Amino acid sequence: MADPARIKTEGSLEKGGFINEESPKTEHEPVPETSAEMSADDNKELSTQDHLKDLKTETEAAAAADDEEEGTSGQPSSKRLKVEPEKKKEKRHKVDEDEIQKMQVLVSSFSEEQLNRYEMYRRSAFPKAAIKRLIQSITGSSISQNVVIAMSGIAKVFVGEIVEEALDVCEKWGDTPPLQPKHLREAVRRLKSRDQIPNSKYKHILFH
Amino acid sequence: MAEEEDEPGFEEEQEDGSGGVDAAGHGRRKRLFSKELRCMMYGFGDDQNPYTESVDILEDLVIEFITEMTHKAMSIGRQGRVQVEDIVFLIRKDPRKFARVKDLLTMNEELKRARKAFDEANYGS
Repeated sequence: MADPARIKTEGSLEKGGFINEESPKTEHEPVPETSAEMSADDNKELSTQDHLKDLKTETEAAAAADDEEEGTSGQPSSKRLKVEPEKKKEKRHKVDEDEIQKMQVLVSSFSEEQLNRYEMYRRSAFPKAAIKRLIQSITGSSISQNVVIAMSGIAKVFVGEIVEEALDVCEKWGDTPPLQPKHLREAVRRLKSRDQIPNSKYKHILFH
Repeated sequence: MAEEEDEPGFEEEQEDGSGGVDAAGHGRRKRLFSKELRCMMYGFGDDQNPYTESVDILEDLVIEFITEMTHKAMSIGRQGRVQVEDIVFLIRKDPRKFARVKDLLTMNEELKRARKAFDEANYGS
């Protein structure tokens, strides 16, 4: 599932516009102009329904666009591992269709608060400039756009894993949100024991 | 109990200005991701107004994560450089992150192609 949370700052209108052009099966009106200037803070000003239709369209477009991925040019950054046979592609397309429809049904039945949260979930993202600056300050050399995209995406998933684990801990200890530092620390401890948090700070010497 | 976890939070904030290294976290001079992290935490299930200390801890964790990944990526593949293939390789064991990176890169390719097609169409007319 694509995350149109990318669509937060400059260039967002372009992206929204193109996705509409690309996917003929959407029956929804063009993306409102104002979505270009949107940042996470302004989200509340516009109607949530519009955003979610926007997000839904983009997911459909992603599925429609998925078909074309077999013909991806030989760019090193997006290697295809295998060439899928025709049958598998159709089945996968159908599965995506089902999934999209189910998502639409689900999202349409959300309450106001759930809609807000879902919107935040989709739209929040790390600022590309800051990530780029951070990585470049570590490597000392310049990096490509794709690296920034990949790293921000992974960082967001990382945050998600920690927050979800911390919510589990919070519930288990009989507390209520908002999360406290002790929940987060326990979550990190648990994730570390599952090797989901990289730690190269100590060398494990096998035989000594 | 409440006093106990106030203290570590306290220490972190005091050392924040000095930028010194301390056991609990790296003393960053300025918070890079405060706003975005708040929205993210809400999106992932926390309260609408998460605690500042929690946001700080998460920011430190994220920066540490990115730093670790970058260092690892620099040590494999082409030395001294960070490339997408390296990141994908490092992530291969984690199904969620791997799928996410693949999706993002695919979407990016799609968007680039669409934009290019649009520009060419525009240029032609």
